[in-house]
Amino acid sequence: MTTESRRLDLPPYLRREPVTLALLTGAAVVFFLAVSALSGIHDAQRESLAQRWAGRGVADLKLQHYEPAVVDFRTALLYARDSSAYQLSLAQALMGLHRNDEAEAYLLNLWEREPENGLVSLELARIAASKGQTDRALRYYHNAIYATWTGSQDEARHQARLELINYLLRIDAKPQADAELIDLAASFGRNSQENLLLGQLFLRAGDNRRALGAFQDALKRHRHNPTALAGAGTAAYQLALYPDAQRYLEKAHAADPGNSEVSAELKMAQAVLRWDPFRPQVPQAERNRMALDAFAAVGKRLKSCLSNPQVQPLQQSWSKLKPQMNEGLLRRQPDLVDTAMNLAFQIEKQTANTCGPQSDTDRALLLISNLHEEN
Amino acid sequence: MQQIAPVEEVEAVASHTSRFQPARVLQTVFREDSFFLILSVFIGIFSGLAVVCFRYAIDWCQLYLLGSGAEPSHSRLLLAPALTGILIAIIVIHFFPASRGSGVNQTKAALYIYNGFIPLKTAVGKFICSALAIGSGQSLGPEDPSLQIGASLASALGRKLHLSRERMRLIAPVGAAAGLAAAFNAPISAVLFVIEEVIGRWTAGILGSVVLSAVSSVVVMRWFLGSESMFRIPPVELKSPSELIAYSILGIIGGLASVVFASGIQELRPRFRRMSPWTQYLQPAVAGLVIGVIAMLGAPQVMGAGYVYIDQAMHGQFTWQFLAILALLKIVATLVSFVSGTPGGMFAPTLFIGAMLGAAVGGVEHMLYPHLSSSPGTFALVGMGVLFAGFLRVPMTSVFMVLEVSGNYTIIVPVMIANTFAYVISRGLMPTPIFDVLSRQDGMELPSMEEQREESILRVEDAMQPPSDPILNPEDSVEKAERLAEQTSRHVLLVRLRPSGWSTVGIEELKKLVAEGKGTQPIESVLTGDPVPSLHPDLPLDTALRYVDRWPVVPVVNRADLSEVEGLITERDVLERYRDFGGE
Repeated sequence: MTTESRRLDLPPYLRREPVTLALLTGAAVVFFLAVSALSGIHDAQRESLAQRWAGRGVADLKLQHYEPAVVDFRTALLYARDSSAYQLSLAQALMGLHRNDEAEAYLLNLWEREPENGLVSLELARIAASKGQTDRALRYYHNAIYATWTGSQDEARHQARLELINYLLRIDAKPQADAELIDLAASFGRNSQENLLLGQLFLRAGDNRRALGAFQDALKRHRHNPTALAGAGTAAYQLALYPDAQRYLEKAHAADPGNSEVSAELKMAQAVLRWDPFRPQVPQAERNRMALDAFAAVGKRLKSCLSNPQVQPLQQSWSKLKPQMNEGLLRRQPDLVDTAMNLAFQIEKQTANTCGPQSDTDRALLLISNLHEEN
Repeated sequence: MQQIAPVEEVEAVASHTSRFQPARVLQTVFREDSFFLILSVFIGIFSGLAVVCFRYAIDWCQLYLLGSGAEPSHSRLLLAPALTGILIAIIVIHFFPASRGSGVNQTKAALYIYNGFIPLKTAVGKFICSALAIGSGQSLGPEDPSLQIGASLASALGRKLHLSRERMRLIAPVGAAAGLAAAFNAPISAVLFVIEEVIGRWTAGILGSVVLSAVSSVVVMRWFLGSESMFRIPPVELKSPSELIAYSILGIIGGLASVVFASGIQELRPRFRRMSPWTQYLQPAVAGLVIGVIAMLGAPQVMGAGYVYIDQAMHGQFTWQFLAILALLKIVATLVSFVSGTPGGMFAPTLFIGAMLGAAVGGVEHMLYPHLSSSPGTFALVGMGVLFAGFLRVPMTSVFMVLEVSGNYTIIVPVMIANTFAYVISRGLMPTPIFDVLSRQDGMELPSMEEQREESILRVEDAMQPPSDPILNPEDSVEKAERLAEQTSRHVLLVRLRPSGWSTVGIEELKKLVAEGKGTQPIESVLTGDPVPSLHPDLPLDTALRYVDRWPVVPVVNRADLSEVEGLITERDVLERYRDFGGE
């Protein structure tokens, strides 16, 4: 039997179907290649259109023309539906129009596709923050901080963390803000500007010691920087380091006499130093004079507050002590200074919240009281 | 001869051993049913490629007719659909008259009437005219044309390969599934739709082919167009069980909207077709003009398939009032587009109307109970399923379509509730489904899948008689059997066999045996006929027909206890029940 004759022994469909299959495969390949070519033309055209519309959108976005920017990016997305960049830009334009819900929808879609995208997380955090959704905002801010960024990663992460810190300070979450600041400080503060920023944020977070450190670092680089001097003065003032505060604030005032906050703090620091009889190395006579002045000042404070029944016992104590308050007796009985000052502190504390506005002297005495209580 | 001998020897050895036998492998692979499965993959690939081309064609038409911007100028809005409408009318009337009408029905016609034949010309016409229509802004969708393009390609392929008539009948639905799957990017929904609405029955062979073609077409489509779903699905959730009330209301509104939409087509389509022949040239243009005016007046969203706007509705970018207006305008726009004879499908408009209605209901709920309601996107998604169930009357597909598009199973309860309401209301108010309406308007009486589903069938229990006659045991004597037989009205008695099974014995036979002196013998020893099969009460009565003409009486036994006879059935019982059923 020949090979030909054996082949013919196969049923007819076995001779036909393999050929059919081969032909179908060939046709599919040809069709596929043709559609690929068509697809190339189609995709190129759409990409070009997308770029053209996105270009217009970027220009509009820069000019803060959000309405046309939305139309531009929407059109661009018609031709490049999956473009993350266009979706992000559209979301930003929508946020510019305060259409946060729409923007959020785009961003969430992007976030699901690119959870590592820092900018998307940051924008989502901003929206959550604007809606008062603190937990979501914190989650997205942290995503942004640890996410991938194009360009300078460190810079972008620092900016994201700074934004988070500002948000935390806005919602008065000072301990969390302070924790974030401590993290930030580990890699921040490479120049005086960054030190200044750190110092100011630490001040706002109530971490005065770190604030003072940051301002002092800034002053090491620029010793006459008025902002650093003012910041260091304020931090020292808050820490009740009044001599340091006076030193920094005097320099800051000299550099910028128009800064009313500095002037007020300087005035107060000077008052504390002037009225505090317990400062080290103050001569006895000076201490006695300070005690007499303080005693007289609280007497005035009591007179303005006689209607308040809570101060009556203090008034009696003051009146009882008054005859002993003279320089001669103070010279002979140094303990009287302590007694007088303790009474003065009690009077200032009692009247602080109940007897109307305080004078600078009253505020200074209260600060001195706090200072010595802490010590 | 000397050269051939070794080959023969090898062949002889091969045929008697278990070694690799190419001929046998080929026989297995190229058996017609296996080959049909392979062919289904090719149908899927070709359909997927054709649908990709179709989508490109729509994009290009849209680009050149309406411009590249998302907001076309007023002149384009007015002129593009109207002037293109005239062109479409000329092409349809003079070159592709068969490209009008529903692709679903044409596929069904191929299956039930034309032995799988759909002219390739129909696909070409559908491709060109639908691309022009959708691209110019007519309110129609690409799914139905895609379905028909797939079916038509499959039919052409089947004809070329000279498939058997049975395969040819099935090949169009296989292509239809491929076309629809590629258009929807949803293979499960496409398979279900074709099974539910076109073929109407599940068998392994059909399902395998349909699934293979659908999956391969989707793979091809995703290769070129990407794997993203048609919409960006927002986070979907059911916030509170009380929200189900809102979803029920959505189902009711969707059901009513479906009836309005379908009734509009039922009423208007024949009227438009009865108009003078010359008006056929103008009808698509007038429809285009109406849509252009609607767009110019502030609702360009009604133009084309509208997927972009479904997406926007899902993300809460419209107020509920505007969403409701859009739903209403889309019904009007789709009505005029479809009844004017412009080729194109109604799947996308159905989804659009459903999404808008859903998002509108969601918006109202959010306004009334802001803390209770989930996102409008959830309502829009459910709304799409609602219109699918109410308008297209494919309840299973409608549920799976929403699940497949959303990729989220948490909304299955709202979807099922809303779809059920819509389906029941639509069916109650408009008994004939839209596809059947269209086929009857086209002069065809295609089988209605819904009617088949709902049809009540007769079962064995409806015809069987209670087992009043005694049943003989195998050990009973012939004499005893004869005595018992005398007391009954039947000519035949049932005999229980050991350990199982049944037989029958006739009175005449028993008398003859007694006369022959075999009266004391056990009945078992004298049985000569074949064992009698048994039936169960729940079996269709058709099943009984296969047996009752061979055996004079057939036992109907309990499924849990095969020895318990629940009734007896004879040919006469069956025929009488059928006669009575026809009278009912």
